[in-house]
Amino acid sequence: MSNISSRTSPDNYFENFAVGQVIAHARGKTVTEMDNVLITNMVMNTAQGHFNEHLMQKSSGIAGFDTRIVFGGINFSMVIGLAAQDTGEQVLQELGMDKIRLKTPVHHGDTLYAFTEVLEKKDADRADAGIVRFKHYGINQHDKLVYEGERTVLMKRRNAWGSR
Amino acid sequence: MDIVTDLKARAKPWPRGNRFEDFAVGRVFRHHWGRTLTVADNTQFVTLTLHYNPLYTNADYARAHGHADLVVCPLLVFNTVFGLTVEDLSEGGGPFLGVDKLTYHRPVIVGETVYAESQVIAARETDSRPDYGIVTWHTKGFCEKGDLVIDFQRTNLVRKRK
Repeated sequence: MSNISSRTSPDNYFENFAVGQVIAHARGKTVTEMDNVLITNMVMNTAQGHFNEHLMQKSSGIAGFDTRIVFGGINFSMVIGLAAQDTGEQVLQELGMDKIRLKTPVHHGDTLYAFTEVLEKKDADRADAGIVRFKHYGINQHDKLVYEGERTVLMKRRNAWGSR
Repeated sequence: MDIVTDLKARAKPWPRGNRFEDFAVGRVFRHHWGRTLTVADNTQFVTLTLHYNPLYTNADYARAHGHADLVVCPLLVFNTVFGLTVEDLSEGGGPFLGVDKLTYHRPVIVGETVYAESQVIAARETDSRPDYGIVTWHTKGFCEKGDLVIDFQRTNLVRKRK
């Protein structure tokens, strides 16, 4: 493959991020029944609270838990996805996550938006990439915090990859 | 008696899932099934979550970065390993609270199969929810050759049996 760098953005390499920078990502996504039930079932998550509407309506009686709730793993995958063109397009390898907290249940029809703060940048054990630690936040259409968590990535340096 | 009434009278429930009392610290679960992560799974997951890194959706690009084929989105590896644990750990009910200390040990390539195993590392009562406890598990995901690809700690509220 030629022109690797032409397939991705020119402005989201290791050098482009500064510690303390806070980003509001461009797009939100309304999480639908398709997203939740499809992904929950695809990953063989057997918890009926994500895919049995009848059970939830008859059994819970607790506000917010009287209808299917979206699997929390999908909630933060979606928020990280919404942040990924900016903070993941130049990622060579995802290294890990930490301090993930799920704060508010998500239901079909709720809309998620992503924000990111750059916590740390450091050298990697290879010259063509660096390590960035982000803190991601997901909020819903009512400005309630749904998720927060850290994510650490190995990211291309522009001086090594920007014109390949 | 009609068929449905008769069925409901004769059928015995075959329950699934565990409760707080089942999670003694140190107990190990080797979870069911395993899951081969296919191109279809990966493409569908990545596009639905808008995770725009071409390593996961462009095989030509992935090979140009030294991979044998498309890389599986690490969040799909996480969600699948998590999914395989649910019947044993959390299907009994109670919200998923958080994840700590998650490490991706190496990239997973499409066509690889993942398995999951967990150990209870903490289980405690909570004053605010007497009908629930808080349990933390250390979950590991392995590929077919037995090499560790992911591990993390997960915490849930877990319903008590009584």
